[in-house]
Amino acid sequence: MRLLLVEDHVPLADELLGALGRQGYAVDWLADGRDAAHQGVSEPYDLIILDLGLPGLPGLEVLAQWRAGGLTAPVLVLTARGSWAERIDGLKAGADDYLTKPFHPEELQLRIQALLRRSHGLANQPRLEAAGLHLDEGRQCVSRDGTEIQLTSAEFRLLRYFMLHPQQLLSKSHLSEHLYDGESERDSNVIEVHVNHLRRKLGRSVIETRRGQGYRFGGVAV
Amino acid sequence: MRSIQARLSLGLISVLLIVGLALAQTSLWLFELGLQRYLQDGLRNESEGLLIALVRGPEGMQLDEHRVSPAYHRPFSGHYFRIDFPRGHWRSRSLWDVELPQVAEPGLQANLELATTGQSLLLLHTDYRKFGEQVSITVARDYTPVNSSFKRVQQIGLGMGLTALLLILILQRVTVRRALRPLERAREQISQLQQGKRSQLDEQVPPELEPLVTQINHLLAHTEDSLKRSRNALGNLGHALKTPLAVLVSLSVNEQLNAAPALRKTLQEQLEQIQHRLSRELNRARLSGDALPGALFDCDAELPGLVSTLRMIHGAHLELEVEVAPGLQLPWDREDILELLGNLLDNACKWADSQVSLSITSLPHGFCLSIDDDGPGIPQADRDEVFSRGTRLDEQVTGHGLGLGIARDIVDAWDGQLQLRVSPLGGLQVRIELVDRSLHI
Repeated sequence: MRLLLVEDHVPLADELLGALGRQGYAVDWLADGRDAAHQGVSEPYDLIILDLGLPGLPGLEVLAQWRAGGLTAPVLVLTARGSWAERIDGLKAGADDYLTKPFHPEELQLRIQALLRRSHGLANQPRLEAAGLHLDEGRQCVSRDGTEIQLTSAEFRLLRYFMLHPQQLLSKSHLSEHLYDGESERDSNVIEVHVNHLRRKLGRSVIETRRGQGYRFGGVAV
Repeated sequence: MRSIQARLSLGLISVLLIVGLALAQTSLWLFELGLQRYLQDGLRNESEGLLIALVRGPEGMQLDEHRVSPAYHRPFSGHYFRIDFPRGHWRSRSLWDVELPQVAEPGLQANLELATTGQSLLLLHTDYRKFGEQVSITVARDYTPVNSSFKRVQQIGLGMGLTALLLILILQRVTVRRALRPLERAREQISQLQQGKRSQLDEQVPPELEPLVTQINHLLAHTEDSLKRSRNALGNLGHALKTPLAVLVSLSVNEQLNAAPALRKTLQEQLEQIQHRLSRELNRARLSGDALPGALFDCDAELPGLVSTLRMIHGAHLELEVEVAPGLQLPWDREDILELLGNLLDNACKWADSQVSLSITSLPHGFCLSIDDDGPGIPQADRDEVFSRGTRLDEQVTGHGLGLGIARDIVDAWDGQLQLRVSPLGGLQVRIELVDRSLHI
C-alpha cells in the first residue's frame, strides 16, 4: 500500500511516518500544498492523508484540485479545525474521512484500514478476508481455517495488497509502484522472492503467475 | 433625577408666568395712566368751563347756571363739582346730599370713594384766582365703569393667559417627546445590538445626537475589534496547540513507554484532559462570536450533509431517521446548530445499537429538538451529574461528557433548556427547547 502524507508539522509527520511504516505502508511525505497538488495526481497512491492547514496552498483547495483532476484514491483529512460545519464542508469537498487533531494513532490506523477496504468494495469487514485467508492487520499475521501463519513485514505488505485486489492481474511494476515509496530502489526480483515466500507459506495455488503479465491472487476461488 | 420633561415644563411655566404677569400688569398700568391723563384733560376743560361760568353778580361772584353742564344737575350722574371760595362753597346738584372727598393738594386724584354711593371718583382739584378772589374748583367724575371694565379686561386677560400657558405646555410636551424620539430609537437599536440583530447604530439622527451615536459606534467598533482579536488569538492558540498535542498523543503510545505503564497512563489522562478542555473552550470562544443578524439554519439544505457525514463516520449499519417539517428554518447561526446537532447525534450514534432519530418541531414560542437513540442510556443518578456545575471534565460520564458539555454550552448561550430523558426507543433522549428570540422584539 502506498500512501501520501501531506503534513507541514515536522514532528507530527515524523511520528506518523514511523507509525505508518511499522504498519507496513510505503509512505511519501510532502509539506507544501503546491507540491501535494501536483504529486497527488502524478503518482499512483492508494490513499492520501491530507492536513488542511498547509503552506503554499490550503488543504481544501488541494483536495478540490485533485478531485477536479480525476483523483479517485481515498483522502483522509487531518485537521485541527474540528467543528462540524468544517467537517461537513471537508466531506463535501471530496474527502472520504475526517480526523481531527489530536487523535489517537490507533484511530488513524483503523480509519486507514477501513478506508482502504471501503475503496476496494470490501466495506463492513472487521478483518480483511479473501480466498479463505484472514489477515490480521494489527498483528500482521494471516490465518487459514484457524491456523495462524506468521509473516515477515515485506510478506505482510504484499499479501495485504493482493488481498485488497483479489482476482486482479497485477504486474510486477504495478506491485513495486504500490509497495515502495518514491525513494526506495525498485527491484522487481525482490517481489518475485516475496511471492515465492508467500507461496511456500500459503500454498502454491494462492498466487497464480501469468507469464509476461504478472500475478493473480485468489485464482483458486474462480 | 427629575425628568427633562418636568424640568423644561417648570422652567417654561415660571418664565411665562413672570413675564406674562409683568407684561399684563405693566400694560394695564400704562393704559390706565394714559386713560387718566385723557380724562384729566376732560376734567380740566370742565373745571375751566366752571371757572368761566363764575360771573360777577349783584352779590359778588355767582355761578351762571346756564353755563353749567346739565350732567351736574342730575343726582349721582357721575359728574360732580365743588367750588370753594373765601365766602363759602358751591356744590353741584348731582352730589345731592353727600360731600365730595376733600383734597388739600391741587392735581389729579384717583380712587376716591364717594360716600355711600360706592362710586369710585377721579377728581381734579385746581386753584384759580378770579375777580381778585381765591377760587378752588374740584371736579370729579365717576370712574367705576372704567375700573370695572379694567377688571373685566384683567379677567379676560388672565383666562387667555392661562389658556395660552396650557396650550404651550401641551405643545412643549409634544415637542419634547418628538425631540426625544431619536433617543428612544437609539435605545431600541442598542437593545437590538445586544441581541446581535445589528452591528452598528443608525447614523441618520438629528445633529444633536450625532456625536453620541458616532461615539457609541466608535466604541462598538473598538470593542468588536478587540473582541475579535482576542477570540482569534484564542482560536489560533487552541488550534496551534492541537498539532503538538497530536504528536504527544502519538508519543504516549510509543513502544519505549511499554516499560512504564503508570507513566503512560498519567500522560494519556492528562493529554485527554487538555484535549477536552481545548475543545470546550474553543467552542465557547466561537459561541461568543458575532451572531450575524438574520442568520438562519435551513434544515432542508444542511441536514442531509450532516446525516451523510454521520453515516460515513459511524458506518451504514445505523438507521438514522430525521423528522423535520419541510422548509423549516431555525433562526440561529449555521455553524452553531451544526455543532449542537453534530455533537449530540455523534454521541447518539456512538451509543446506539441500531437506531438514532432526530426530530425538530416548532413550538408556539420556539423549537423543540429531540435526539433519540436505542443504546444503554444514562441512569437517572448519573444524568444530573453530567450537567452538575463544578463537575470536572474528567469526572463526567466518559463518552457522553464532552459532546453533552459542548451542547449545553451552546444551549446555555441561547437561553434554552436541555433535558436528558428516557427515549421511547429505549436509550437516551436529549430534548432541547429553544425560544425563538426573534418573536420577542
